[in-house]
Amino acid sequence: MAKPIPKIGSRKNGRIGSRKHARKIPKGVIHVQASFNNTIVTVTDVRGRVISWSSAGTCGFKGTRRGTPFAAQTAAGNAIRTVANQGMQRAEVMIKGPGLGRDAALRAIRRSGILLNFIRDVTPMPHNGCRSPKKRRV
Amino acid sequence: MTYLLYPPLILPCPCGWRNHILAPPSSTATTMNPVQRRGLSGSVQPGQDFVGRSRSRSVRCMANPRRVKMVAKQIQRELSDMLLTDKVLQFAVLPEASLGADRYLSSLTTISDVEVSSDLQVVKVYVSVFGDERGKEVAMAGLKSKAKYVRSVLGRRMKLRLTPEIRFIEDESFERGSRVIAILDKIKNEKSLENQNGELSDSSAHDDDNWDDVDPDEGIIYVD
Repeated sequence: MAKPIPKIGSRKNGRIGSRKHARKIPKGVIHVQASFNNTIVTVTDVRGRVISWSSAGTCGFKGTRRGTPFAAQTAAGNAIRTVANQGMQRAEVMIKGPGLGRDAALRAIRRSGILLNFIRDVTPMPHNGCRSPKKRRV
Repeated sequence: MTYLLYPPLILPCPCGWRNHILAPPSSTATTMNPVQRRGLSGSVQPGQDFVGRSRSRSVRCMANPRRVKMVAKQIQRELSDMLLTDKVLQFAVLPEASLGADRYLSSLTTISDVEVSSDLQVVKVYVSVFGDERGKEVAMAGLKSKAKYVRSVLGRRMKLRLTPEIRFIEDESFERGSRVIAILDKIKNEKSLENQNGELSDSSAHDDDNWDDVDPDEGIIYVD
Protein backbone atom coordinates (compact mmCIF):
# COMPACT_ATOMS: atom_id res chain seq x y z
CA MET A 1 0.00 0.00 0.00
CA ALA A 2 1.18 3.53 -0.63
CA LYS A 3 0.17 4.64 2.87
CA PRO A 4 3.23 5.55 4.93
CA ILE A 5 3.74 4.17 8.38
CA PRO A 6 1.98 6.62 10.72
CA LYS A 7 4.23 8.44 13.15
CA ILE A 8 3.20 8.79 16.75
CA GLY A 9 2.59 12.49 16.34
CA SER A 10 0.02 12.01 13.59
CA ARG A 11 -1.87 9.50 15.70
CA LYS A 12 -2.24 11.97 18.50
CA ASN A 13 -3.58 14.59 16.11
CA GLY A 14 -6.23 12.21 14.82
CA ARG A 15 -7.70 11.47 18.22
CA ILE A 16 -9.23 14.82 18.97
CA GLY A 17 -12.08 13.18 20.84
CA SER A 18 -9.85 12.06 23.64
CA ARG A 19 -8.72 15.60 24.35
CA LYS A 20 -12.13 16.47 25.70
CA HIS A 21 -11.85 14.13 28.63
CA ALA A 22 -8.24 14.00 29.75
CA ARG A 23 -9.41 12.21 32.82
CA LYS A 24 -7.35 10.44 35.38
CA ILE A 25 -8.30 6.83 35.62
CA PRO A 26 -6.60 4.76 38.26
CA LYS A 27 -8.16 1.52 37.12
CA GLY A 28 -8.75 0.24 33.64
CA VAL A 29 -9.17 -2.78 31.46
CA ILE A 30 -6.70 -3.91 28.85
CA HIS A 31 -8.05 -6.01 26.03
CA VAL A 32 -5.60 -8.11 24.08
CA GLN A 33 -6.83 -9.73 20.93
CA ALA A 34 -4.17 -12.17 19.81
CA SER A 35 -4.78 -13.83 16.50
CA PHE A 36 -2.21 -15.84 14.62
CA ASN A 37 -1.30 -12.99 12.31
CA ASN A 38 -1.63 -9.92 14.48
CA THR A 39 -2.11 -8.63 18.01
CA ILE A 40 -4.32 -5.70 18.94
CA VAL A 41 -4.07 -4.14 22.38
CA THR A 42 -6.86 -1.80 23.50
CA VAL A 43 -6.95 0.07 26.76
CA THR A 44 -10.38 1.02 28.01
CA ASP A 45 -11.89 2.14 31.26
CA VAL A 46 -13.95 -0.12 33.44
CA ARG A 47 -17.12 0.61 31.55
CA GLY A 48 -15.54 -0.21 28.21
CA ARG A 49 -14.94 3.19 26.65
CA VAL A 50 -11.73 3.06 24.69
CA ILE A 51 -8.87 5.23 25.84
CA SER A 52 -6.13 4.18 23.50
CA TRP A 53 -5.18 1.29 21.33
CA SER A 54 -2.23 -0.06 19.50
CA SER A 55 -1.51 -3.05 17.37
CA ALA A 56 1.44 -4.82 15.86
CA GLY A 57 0.56 -3.37 12.48
CA THR A 58 0.51 0.22 13.68
CA CYS A 59 3.84 -0.26 15.38
CA GLY A 60 5.45 -0.56 12.01
CA PHE A 61 5.55 -4.30 11.52
CA LYS A 62 4.25 -5.65 8.28
CA GLY A 63 3.22 -9.04 7.03
CA THR A 64 4.32 -12.14 8.88
CA ARG A 65 6.26 -10.19 11.47
CA ARG A 66 3.04 -8.85 12.97
CA GLY A 67 2.26 -12.25 14.41
CA THR A 68 5.49 -12.60 16.32
CA PRO A 69 5.65 -12.23 20.10
CA PHE A 70 8.10 -9.35 19.82
CA ALA A 71 5.56 -7.37 17.85
CA ALA A 72 2.93 -8.09 20.49
CA GLN A 73 5.33 -6.87 23.12
CA THR A 74 5.97 -3.56 21.36
CA ALA A 75 2.27 -3.08 20.73
CA ALA A 76 1.48 -3.59 24.40
CA GLY A 77 4.27 -1.26 25.42
CA ASN A 78 3.00 1.39 23.05
CA ALA A 79 -0.57 1.16 24.25
CA ILE A 80 0.44 1.40 27.87
CA ARG A 81 2.81 4.27 27.47
CA THR A 82 0.03 6.67 26.60
CA VAL A 83 -2.00 5.48 29.51
CA ALA A 84 0.67 5.30 32.17
CA ASN A 85 1.05 9.04 31.88
CA GLN A 86 -2.58 9.35 32.83
CA GLY A 87 -1.81 7.55 36.01
CA MET A 88 -3.29 4.11 35.64
CA GLN A 89 -2.07 1.81 38.36
CA ARG A 90 -4.27 -1.23 38.27
CA ALA A 91 -5.66 -3.04 35.32
CA GLU A 92 -7.58 -6.11 34.43
CA VAL A 93 -6.52 -7.99 31.33
CA MET A 94 -8.92 -9.68 28.96
CA ILE A 95 -7.35 -12.02 26.47
CA LYS A 96 -9.06 -13.11 23.32
CA GLY A 97 -7.92 -15.63 20.78
CA PRO A 98 -5.07 -18.06 20.27
CA GLY A 99 -1.76 -16.73 19.15
CA LEU A 100 1.65 -15.84 20.44
CA GLY A 101 0.57 -12.38 21.49
CA ARG A 102 -1.15 -13.66 24.61
CA ASP A 103 1.95 -14.46 26.54
CA ALA A 104 4.19 -11.73 25.18
CA ALA A 105 1.70 -8.92 25.72
CA LEU A 106 1.00 -10.10 29.26
CA ARG A 107 4.66 -10.10 30.09
CA ALA A 108 5.09 -6.64 28.61
CA ILE A 109 2.18 -5.34 30.66
CA ARG A 110 3.59 -6.78 33.82
CA ARG A 111 7.01 -5.35 33.07
CA SER A 112 5.65 -1.86 32.64
CA GLY A 113 4.75 -1.65 36.29
CA ILE A 114 0.99 -1.76 36.08
CA LEU A 115 -0.62 -3.99 38.68
CA LEU A 116 -2.60 -6.83 37.22
CA ASN A 117 -5.79 -7.47 39.08
CA PHE A 118 -7.22 -10.31 37.09
CA ILE A 119 -6.44 -12.16 33.92
CA ARG A 120 -9.50 -13.27 32.06
CA ASP A 121 -9.89 -15.25 28.90
CA VAL A 122 -12.80 -13.97 26.87
CA THR A 123 -12.38 -15.94 23.68
CA PRO A 124 -15.80 -16.08 22.05
CA MET A 125 -17.17 -19.57 22.40
CA PRO A 126 -20.32 -20.49 20.53
CA HIS A 127 -22.78 -22.78 22.24
CA ASN A 128 -22.78 -24.63 18.88
CA GLY A 129 -23.98 -21.75 16.74
CA CYS A 130 -22.65 -20.80 13.33
CA ARG A 131 -20.98 -23.33 11.11
CA SER A 132 -17.22 -23.01 11.32
CA PRO A 133 -15.10 -22.64 8.17
CA LYS A 134 -13.97 -25.82 6.47
CA LYS A 135 -10.91 -27.72 7.63
CA ARG A 136 -7.61 -26.71 6.13
CA ARG A 137 -5.95 -29.53 4.29
CA VAL A 138 -2.23 -29.94 4.61
CA MET B 1 21.38 -65.19 -0.25
CA THR B 2 24.40 -64.31 1.84
CA TYR B 3 23.35 -60.71 1.93
CA LEU B 4 19.92 -61.35 3.27
CA LEU B 5 18.89 -62.69 6.63
CA TYR B 6 15.19 -62.58 6.00
CA PRO B 7 13.44 -63.20 2.75
CA PRO B 8 12.08 -59.99 1.32
CA LEU B 9 8.38 -59.30 1.25
CA ILE B 10 7.18 -58.72 -2.28
CA LEU B 11 3.91 -56.88 -2.28
CA PRO B 12 1.90 -55.90 -5.32
CA CYS B 13 1.73 -52.17 -5.73
CA PRO B 14 -1.74 -50.62 -5.83
CA CYS B 15 -0.77 -48.87 -9.05
CA GLY B 16 -0.40 -52.21 -10.69
CA TRP B 17 2.78 -52.64 -12.61
CA ARG B 18 5.47 -52.18 -10.02
CA ASN B 19 6.44 -54.52 -7.24
CA HIS B 20 7.42 -52.91 -3.99
CA ILE B 21 10.00 -54.71 -1.96
CA LEU B 22 9.63 -53.87 1.67
CA ALA B 23 12.33 -54.29 4.24
CA PRO B 24 11.61 -56.94 6.85
CA PRO B 25 9.09 -55.99 9.53
CA SER B 26 11.79 -55.26 12.08
CA SER B 27 12.63 -51.97 10.42
CA THR B 28 11.04 -48.89 11.87
CA ALA B 29 10.06 -46.46 9.17
CA THR B 30 7.42 -46.96 6.53
CA THR B 31 8.17 -46.48 2.88
CA MET B 32 6.86 -43.40 1.26
CA ASN B 33 9.13 -43.35 -1.76
CA PRO B 34 8.92 -46.76 -3.33
CA VAL B 35 12.09 -48.28 -4.60
CA GLN B 36 12.01 -48.32 -8.36
CA ARG B 37 13.34 -51.36 -10.14
CA ARG B 38 13.65 -51.76 -13.82
CA GLY B 39 12.59 -54.90 -15.62
CA LEU B 40 10.90 -56.65 -12.75
CA SER B 41 7.87 -58.65 -13.61
CA GLY B 42 7.64 -61.45 -11.11
CA SER B 43 9.99 -62.45 -8.37
CA VAL B 44 13.46 -61.11 -7.85
CA GLN B 45 16.60 -63.15 -8.54
CA PRO B 46 18.31 -63.72 -5.23
CA GLY B 47 21.78 -62.24 -4.99
CA GLN B 48 21.12 -59.99 -7.96
CA ASP B 49 20.52 -56.30 -7.37
CA PHE B 50 20.61 -56.72 -3.63
CA VAL B 51 24.08 -55.33 -3.16
CA GLY B 52 22.65 -51.87 -2.93
CA ARG B 53 19.58 -52.91 -0.95
CA SER B 54 21.36 -54.62 1.91
CA ARG B 55 22.86 -51.31 2.96
CA SER B 56 19.50 -49.57 3.10
CA ARG B 57 17.68 -52.18 5.13
CA SER B 58 15.69 -49.61 7.07
CA VAL B 59 14.12 -47.27 4.58
CA ARG B 60 13.83 -43.69 5.68
CA CYS B 61 11.36 -41.31 4.21
CA MET B 62 11.93 -37.60 4.22
CA ALA B 63 9.02 -35.36 3.46
CA ASN B 64 9.39 -32.13 1.56
CA PRO B 65 10.69 -29.43 3.95
CA ARG B 66 7.92 -27.10 2.90
CA ARG B 67 5.38 -29.70 3.81
CA VAL B 68 7.06 -30.18 7.17
CA LYS B 69 6.67 -26.48 7.83
CA MET B 70 3.05 -26.52 6.79
CA VAL B 71 2.29 -29.47 9.01
CA ALA B 72 4.04 -27.76 11.92
CA LYS B 73 1.97 -24.63 11.45
CA GLN B 74 -1.22 -26.64 11.20
CA ILE B 75 -0.40 -28.59 14.34
CA GLN B 76 0.26 -25.34 16.15
CA ARG B 77 -3.13 -24.01 15.11
CA GLU B 78 -4.91 -27.17 16.12
CA LEU B 79 -3.21 -27.40 19.49
CA SER B 80 -3.86 -23.77 20.33
CA ASP B 81 -7.45 -24.24 19.35
CA MET B 82 -7.65 -27.31 21.55
CA LEU B 83 -6.28 -25.39 24.48
CA LEU B 84 -9.06 -22.89 24.04
CA THR B 85 -12.00 -25.13 23.38
CA ASP B 86 -11.29 -28.61 24.67
CA LYS B 87 -12.55 -29.05 28.18
CA VAL B 88 -10.39 -32.04 29.06
CA LEU B 89 -7.19 -30.25 28.17
CA GLN B 90 -8.23 -27.12 30.00
CA PHE B 91 -8.91 -29.07 33.16
CA ALA B 92 -5.53 -30.73 32.86
CA VAL B 93 -3.72 -27.45 32.52
CA LEU B 94 -5.77 -25.47 35.00
CA PRO B 95 -7.37 -27.73 37.59
CA GLU B 96 -9.48 -25.00 39.13
CA ALA B 97 -11.37 -24.64 35.88
CA SER B 98 -13.34 -27.72 36.84
CA LEU B 99 -14.67 -25.89 39.85
CA GLY B 100 -16.01 -23.15 37.67
CA ALA B 101 -13.25 -20.55 37.94
CA ASP B 102 -12.40 -20.81 34.32
CA ARG B 103 -12.73 -17.17 33.41
CA TYR B 104 -10.43 -15.82 36.09
CA LEU B 105 -7.13 -17.44 35.41
CA SER B 106 -4.17 -17.98 37.64
CA SER B 107 -1.92 -19.03 34.81
CA LEU B 108 -1.99 -18.78 31.06
CA THR B 109 -0.63 -21.48 28.79
CA THR B 110 0.48 -20.71 25.28
CA ILE B 111 2.01 -22.86 22.62
CA SER B 112 4.97 -20.89 21.42
CA ASP B 113 6.54 -23.22 18.93
CA VAL B 114 6.12 -26.57 17.25
CA GLU B 115 8.98 -28.52 15.74
CA VAL B 116 8.29 -31.49 13.55
CA SER B 117 10.93 -34.03 12.61
CA SER B 118 11.58 -34.38 8.92
CA ASP B 119 9.77 -37.70 8.67
CA LEU B 120 6.71 -36.27 10.43
CA GLN B 121 6.83 -38.81 13.22
CA VAL B 122 7.92 -36.80 16.25
CA VAL B 123 6.53 -33.45 17.25
CA LYS B 124 8.11 -31.29 19.92
CA VAL B 125 5.71 -28.72 21.29
CA TYR B 126 7.22 -25.83 23.20
CA VAL B 127 4.82 -24.53 25.79
CA SER B 128 5.19 -21.30 27.69
CA VAL B 129 3.28 -20.77 30.89
CA PHE B 130 2.63 -17.37 32.40
CA GLY B 131 2.19 -17.48 36.13
CA ASP B 132 3.93 -18.47 39.29
CA GLU B 133 6.07 -21.55 39.88
CA ARG B 134 3.28 -23.74 41.09
CA GLY B 135 1.09 -22.84 38.16
CA LYS B 136 3.91 -23.73 35.78
CA GLU B 137 4.47 -27.12 37.34
CA VAL B 138 0.81 -27.93 37.40
CA ALA B 139 0.36 -26.92 33.79
CA MET B 140 3.34 -28.87 32.48
CA ALA B 141 2.46 -31.96 34.50
CA GLY B 142 -1.10 -31.79 33.28
CA LEU B 143 -0.04 -31.48 29.65
CA LYS B 144 2.45 -34.31 29.84
CA SER B 145 -0.11 -36.59 31.39
CA LYS B 146 -2.51 -35.88 28.53
CA ALA B 147 -0.03 -36.47 25.73
CA LYS B 148 -1.75 -39.62 24.48
CA TYR B 149 -5.15 -38.02 24.58
CA VAL B 150 -3.82 -35.04 22.62
CA ARG B 151 -2.34 -37.39 20.07
CA SER B 152 -5.64 -39.13 19.53
CA VAL B 153 -7.59 -35.90 19.19
CA LEU B 154 -5.03 -34.54 16.76
CA GLY B 155 -5.34 -37.68 14.69
CA ARG B 156 -9.06 -37.16 14.49
CA ARG B 157 -8.75 -33.53 13.53
CA MET B 158 -5.94 -33.72 11.00
CA LYS B 159 -5.65 -36.01 8.05
CA LEU B 160 -2.18 -37.43 8.39
CA ARG B 161 -1.10 -40.89 7.41
CA LEU B 162 0.56 -41.47 10.74
CA THR B 163 -0.20 -39.27 13.71
CA PRO B 164 3.10 -38.20 15.21
CA GLU B 165 4.20 -38.73 18.77
CA ILE B 166 3.81 -35.55 20.76
CA ARG B 167 6.26 -34.32 23.36
CA PHE B 168 5.65 -31.25 25.46
CA ILE B 169 8.68 -29.21 26.41
CA GLU B 170 8.74 -26.18 28.62
CA ASP B 171 9.79 -23.05 26.80
CA GLU B 172 11.74 -20.66 28.94
CA SER B 173 12.81 -18.23 26.28
CA PHE B 174 9.92 -15.86 27.01
CA GLU B 175 10.86 -15.75 30.66
CA ARG B 176 14.50 -15.12 29.95
CA GLY B 177 13.77 -12.48 27.35
CA SER B 178 11.39 -10.72 29.68
CA ARG B 179 13.93 -10.72 32.47
CA VAL B 180 16.65 -9.35 30.21
CA ILE B 181 14.42 -6.57 28.96
CA ALA B 182 13.39 -5.72 32.50
CA ILE B 183 17.02 -5.40 33.52
CA LEU B 184 17.76 -3.26 30.50
CA ASP B 185 14.82 -1.02 31.27
CA LYS B 186 15.98 -0.64 34.82
CA ILE B 187 19.45 0.36 33.67
CA LYS B 188 18.00 2.80 31.21
CA ASN B 189 15.84 4.40 33.87
CA GLU B 190 18.73 4.72 36.23
CA LYS B 191 20.83 6.27 33.52
CA SER B 192 18.17 8.79 32.62
CA LEU B 193 17.80 9.70 36.28
CA GLU B 194 21.52 10.30 36.53
CA ASN B 195 21.48 12.43 33.43
CA GLN B 196 18.68 14.52 34.80
CA ASN B 197 20.38 14.99 38.14
CA GLY B 198 23.82 15.88 36.91
CA GLU B 199 23.56 17.81 33.63
CA LEU B 200 26.84 19.40 32.63
CA SER B 201 27.59 21.37 29.50
CA ASP B 202 31.07 19.84 29.36
CA SER B 203 29.70 16.45 28.57
CA SER B 204 27.71 17.77 25.62
CA ALA B 205 30.76 19.52 24.15
CA HIS B 206 32.74 16.33 24.55
CA ASP B 207 30.09 14.49 22.64
CA ASP B 208 30.23 17.00 19.79
CA ASP B 209 33.94 16.32 19.32
CA ASN B 210 33.31 12.63 19.10
CA TRP B 211 30.72 13.00 16.36
CA ASP B 212 33.35 14.02 13.78
CA ASP B 213 35.70 11.21 14.58
CA VAL B 214 33.26 8.39 14.81
CA ASP B 215 32.42 6.71 11.56
CA PRO B 216 28.64 6.08 11.64
CA ASP B 217 29.09 2.67 10.10
CA GLU B 218 31.30 1.18 12.71
CA GLY B 219 31.26 1.13 16.43
CA ILE B 220 28.42 0.70 18.88
CA ILE B 221 25.66 3.26 18.89
CA TYR B 222 24.22 4.01 22.30
CA VAL B 223 20.60 5.07 22.27
CA ASP B 224 19.63 7.43 25.03
